Amino acid sequence: MTDTQATDLALEVRDLSRTFGARKALDGVSFELPRGAFLSIFGPNGAGKTTMLKVLSTLTSPAKGTAKVMGLDVVADAVELRERIGFISHNPLLYPDLTAEENLQFFAELYCLDEPEKRIKELLQAVELDHRRLDAVRTFSRGMTQRLSIARSLLHKPDVIFLDEPYSGLDPHAMDILDSLIAQVRDQHTFVMISHDLQKGLELCSHALILAKGKVVLFEEKEDIDPDVFADTYRRTVGMGVS
Amino acid sequence: MRQFRAILKKDIVMELRTKEMLTSMGLYAVLVLVVYEIALSQAGSSFDILRIAAGLLWLAIIFTSLLGLNRSLVHEKDQGCLDALLLAPVDRPVIFFGKAIGNLIFLSVVEVIVLPLFYFFFLAGKPLGGPLWMLPLPLIVGSIGIAGVGTLLATMSVNTTGKDLILPVLFIPVMFPLLYASVAATSAVLIGDAGYVQVFWQAVTLGAGYDAIMILAAYGLYEFIIGA
Repeated sequence: MTDTQATDLALEVRDLSRTFGARKALDGVSFELPRGAFLSIFGPNGAGKTTMLKVLSTLTSPAKGTAKVMGLDVVADAVELRERIGFISHNPLLYPDLTAEENLQFFAELYCLDEPEKRIKELLQAVELDHRRLDAVRTFSRGMTQRLSIARSLLHKPDVIFLDEPYSGLDPHAMDILDSLIAQVRDQHTFVMISHDLQKGLELCSHALILAKGKVVLFEEKEDIDPDVFADTYRRTVGMGVS
Repeated sequence: MRQFRAILKKDIVMELRTKEMLTSMGLYAVLVLVVYEIALSQAGSSFDILRIAAGLLWLAIIFTSLLGLNRSLVHEKDQGCLDALLLAPVDRPVIFFGKAIGNLIFLSVVEVIVLPLFYFFFLAGKPLGGPLWMLPLPLIVGSIGIAGVGTLLATMSVNTTGKDLILPVLFIPVMFPLLYASVAATSAVLIGDAGYVQVFWQAVTLGAGYDAIMILAAYGLYEFIIGA
């Protein structure tokens, strides 16, 4: 691989493994993802999806293999890499006793943003929460909390956004709002999303990956995917259970 | 520095809003004093409370601090906020110092409330052996060690099942040298036996040395522990 090719990649994962005791959560995972792509990751519970996201986002270290995000190694360049990634989880990752504005101010300080007030105002308007900016997060509905979580993850204008089951627990209206928010920023970022919703995941993605027992079962570009074959492969892997 | 200030400010704002730690620590400390009072009520007039007062005081401080230390990391973990902190480009020792200084402030607030109560419950009218100005020094040295080592151990235990049990099991044996030094220094001032000044400074030096070594170790280990 040439250096030019390397810089065109958002993710480069080589023989990635992670164990928890005797259990292999990730077992020799390898794939590459171009910049600007939207990768949907599918697989049964315990397949290693969240572990993979945690490794890629520097929350946990790999036992073996390497992973680079935007050309930065997840272990050696962890601090630099954290400036370039955003993370949206089914957990809001927000302080319920702080207001929406205080939460964003806190994270803006952690990311050492210049002119944080302007960026916070811009994002609160984008997620339609500016009228609730002074309210404690614990008074928000699940959908509102998730919208604020999106604002938090976009604060520092990351290159890559990791989404861990972001639609989990949302009502249809909140899902629509999340869809439109993702659509608004789709062109500016690379997305990596874990999903149990095959239809939603395939609708959004440019690339799809099925993980089972910590291994890659399938990794394809969307245009190469036969929906029936994909759905059949997914059903079979769900039946494979956990690693 | 900006990140350190942000972490500290966030902890203080949240505590001022919820008052979870201060209320539980303050109430617990007062209850411990009440239990001491009941336990010692039948000891008789010949019993010299000054001989054990420092031990009683430090027991109250140690057990009270355990409550606060547990809470300081649990509320981060509850909403996945610890992950949000770890996802930010913040050096792990900055998180350690932010949390530890927060814990030190909350412990100090509780001590400021509890110390006068302790004095009125057990020491009022009793002649102290040494000057009163010497008393804050062992309290400062002890509290710094409790906050520093406690923050490290609370981080270790927060990811474990049974963290409420694990933290005291780790904390009390690790704190033993500091507890010994703090009790010795405080006792020296309260009792004022011959040579108490020398004992006081030896104990304070031992406590300060313990703080320096353990906080340096915590600084070095925190990245490994918080990421585990």
